[in-house]
Amino acid sequence: MHPLIRRTRTRRAASAAVAAAALLVTAACSSDSGGDGGGSGTDADTLVAYTGQAGDYQANFNPYSPTTIEGPGTIFEPLFYFNQARDQEPVPRLGTEFSWNDTGTELSITVREGVQWSDGEPFTAHDVVFTLEMITEHPAMNGTGYSGTAEAIDDTHLVVRFDEPAYMDGPQVLGRIWIVPEHIWGEMSDPATDTVQEPVGTGPFVLDEFKPAAFTLAANPDYWDGEPELKKVRFVALSGNQAGADALKAGTVDWQTGPVPDIHNVEKNYPGYRAITVPLNQIALLSCSSAELGCTGPQTDPAVRQAIYYAMDREQINSLAFENTASEISPGFALPGRDSAVISQNLENPTAPMTADAARSARLLEDAGWTKGGDGIYEKDGERLSLTVSVVTGWTDYITAVDVIGQQLKAAGIEIIPQQTSWNEWSDSRGMGNYQLLIDSLYQGPAPDPFYLYSYFFSTATTAEVGESANPNFARFSDPEVDAALEALKQTDPQDTAARQEHFDLIQTRIEQNMPYIPVLTGGTTSEYHAEKFSGWPTTDDLYAFPAVWARPDHSQIFINLKPAGE
Amino acid sequence: MRYYARKLGFYLVALWAALTLNFFIPRMMPGNPVDTLMAKLQQRGGTVDPAARRSYELLLGADTGEPLIIQYFAYLGNMLRGDLGVSVSVFPAEVSSVIGQALPWTLVLVGLATLLSFALGIVLGAVVGWRRGSWLDSLVPATTVLAAVPYFWLALILVAVFATALGWFPLQGGYDVVLTPGWNTGFLGSAVYHGMLPALTIVLSSVGGWLLGMRNMMVSAMSEDYVLTARAKGLRTTRVMTRYAARNAVLPSLAGFAISLGFVVSGSIITEQVFSYPGIGSKLLQGVQNNDYALMQGIFLVITVAVLGANLVVDLLYGFIDPRTRVET
Repeated sequence: MHPLIRRTRTRRAASAAVAAAALLVTAACSSDSGGDGGGSGTDADTLVAYTGQAGDYQANFNPYSPTTIEGPGTIFEPLFYFNQARDQEPVPRLGTEFSWNDTGTELSITVREGVQWSDGEPFTAHDVVFTLEMITEHPAMNGTGYSGTAEAIDDTHLVVRFDEPAYMDGPQVLGRIWIVPEHIWGEMSDPATDTVQEPVGTGPFVLDEFKPAAFTLAANPDYWDGEPELKKVRFVALSGNQAGADALKAGTVDWQTGPVPDIHNVEKNYPGYRAITVPLNQIALLSCSSAELGCTGPQTDPAVRQAIYYAMDREQINSLAFENTASEISPGFALPGRDSAVISQNLENPTAPMTADAARSARLLEDAGWTKGGDGIYEKDGERLSLTVSVVTGWTDYITAVDVIGQQLKAAGIEIIPQQTSWNEWSDSRGMGNYQLLIDSLYQGPAPDPFYLYSYFFSTATTAEVGESANPNFARFSDPEVDAALEALKQTDPQDTAARQEHFDLIQTRIEQNMPYIPVLTGGTTSEYHAEKFSGWPTTDDLYAFPAVWARPDHSQIFINLKPAGE
Repeated sequence: MRYYARKLGFYLVALWAALTLNFFIPRMMPGNPVDTLMAKLQQRGGTVDPAARRSYELLLGADTGEPLIIQYFAYLGNMLRGDLGVSVSVFPAEVSSVIGQALPWTLVLVGLATLLSFALGIVLGAVVGWRRGSWLDSLVPATTVLAAVPYFWLALILVAVFATALGWFPLQGGYDVVLTPGWNTGFLGSAVYHGMLPALTIVLSSVGGWLLGMRNMMVSAMSEDYVLTARAKGLRTTRVMTRYAARNAVLPSLAGFAISLGFVVSGSIITEQVFSYPGIGSKLLQGVQNNDYALMQGIFLVITVAVLGANLVVDLLYGFIDPRTRVET
């Protein structure tokens, strides 16, 4: 999910601009053929990507910086690629094999032989150890919570040791740590703040040229898997989604992520283009659910949350707010499709009902002591069943969704009052717990495994009392049994699916009963790509990588696979 | 001399007050840079491990735990040294370099547009005032309507007509992305071309104010005795109009112009948004959206200094032009 991108389209008034954004990009494309070091780069094998960047780029190719503009996957590689969109084995990149010892405290990794850094120096396991030690020494770079100690056995083997079983840390270490060259990074005075103007990596691409309004990557001729057929990738800055859609129309952007109007007819409206929608993030009404942690309001009553859950007509929400790009959601928050195998049999609904069940909703409320008042809204002890829902100004699909849900809930005797707030205020009240309901989506972890989502959003360790910053268990859900199951999962070999399922069953049923995050739908991430110019894109049948242009390192996996059609 | 010393003293106090407000107001905004950054990354990339929060706190130095008052004095000290700090939103770029990049665009675009609008308004106002009662008077409501139309609306209409429908001007940006910024004709030409439409919208929307003010002053100047005298002497009409009436009528507008020059630095946030112009206004918006206190403070400082400076110049000039203002009460 990427509401920032997809919703900003309305901020830029839609009335401006029909095809003129093209001017910028047309020029960008047509002038590329002049020799600028890349040699074989021509228009036909240059892919123009638009990541939603509005405004100039500030050159920063440090893959560990939160403000990096490019690097992970394309210039700097991880050891393995983990596909969060499909349940599949990790794809070897710089690593070739890995294995855990029996207790999950020791991770042995074999790295690829004969790989060179783009400056010609050889890559070895010592570079991997150096990278891991560097992020340990500089906590500001340790965004993955890495806590092991690494030791190189020889040039191609290393071992990472952990104090306790760390199966679940594996995908972070293997897939989210970008290996950097020791001979360059070892000399930096402060690698955390260095902006790495001349990045040297092992990746399929190298930096070609940088300008504030666009920068270009060129295929690495010495890439260990052979020079990619896609010769150049140019990242452009446009003013917003409207400009992106205009550029698509003009055929001057080859790949962007974000919905365009009339999304189901992309092939007709944008000749040569196709669209793909991948469900990955669950849209939910987050509730400040725990009275113990300081939440106030009717939503602290689980019956109210359940009643809201049953009163929603998800088909209507999907068609009115999401152009039918959303899909079914499981109340246990495993991802239908990818995680179908682990969706618990013990759930009352394996997926949330797509139509409203008013009778069920009313029964839940009445059993909990709510009675219908004169205005058709339930009340209890003089308190009306009226809730506020925060939504960020300008996020049109969420605003529409909240309006639709409001209508549906009103019919069920529940009043919700949408409150549009600025982004900063919204994220502040979400973190601090100063809200009753808000609409947001839950995100997945580094590997195709629902464990990560559970550990992020349902663990006591990631929540806080109201008034303190929770990160990211915003709903203030805290259940010792779920905590214990999460702890047990950390110590269970991921291969042992039977042992894991027991814990997943418990977590999912507890979540369904408590419902701190009221499931709405699984949101689809839609991308439009130039299928006529390049072949090899992921499809819903062959989802070899998550196809979002801003998803790193997923995009690099796609760049490697693309072939220019003109050759 | 005491007059000037008192003025300078007053401006120093005003500067201090402005700096203090610059410090405290952004900190009263909801949110903090780290959470905003986290939320932004989540929205953009999906996966942000909770451990990332700690690392960003350390990286951005947001979690110093120092009391606000100590931060305040450190801030004042840094400002005196000209150290504006490091921007969070484009970490680790220096605020001064971010501002340095954006300021020339704003100065040239808004500066020239303001100058043009002033010159046009004064000339038209003088003519319209001189010929009061003729059909030219209809220029007053016409330009006032343009000034009254919400600025973004005017800009969007011009974009829709001239950039989208007719394709005469580029839609957005400050220059063609394939050109390398620098002193070369290709880039400068592109910059001028890209600046035309934004400049046009600024001129159109502000010319009405100057015109109205000038016209009214012109009308009252024309009933002055010295204009009558000049006419009676048989001077040429254009000479009476420019040398006698207009010259006196323009004085109040000049003072207003000097002050509006001070505001040039603050740019025009809406213009820069509509046209994706790489100026100071869009940087200010970026700072606000990311809780980038250092960037906001830096920009506010520049604006404050420019406005105070322009006022100071006007004050001093007035004292020079009109000795009465120097007399102590």
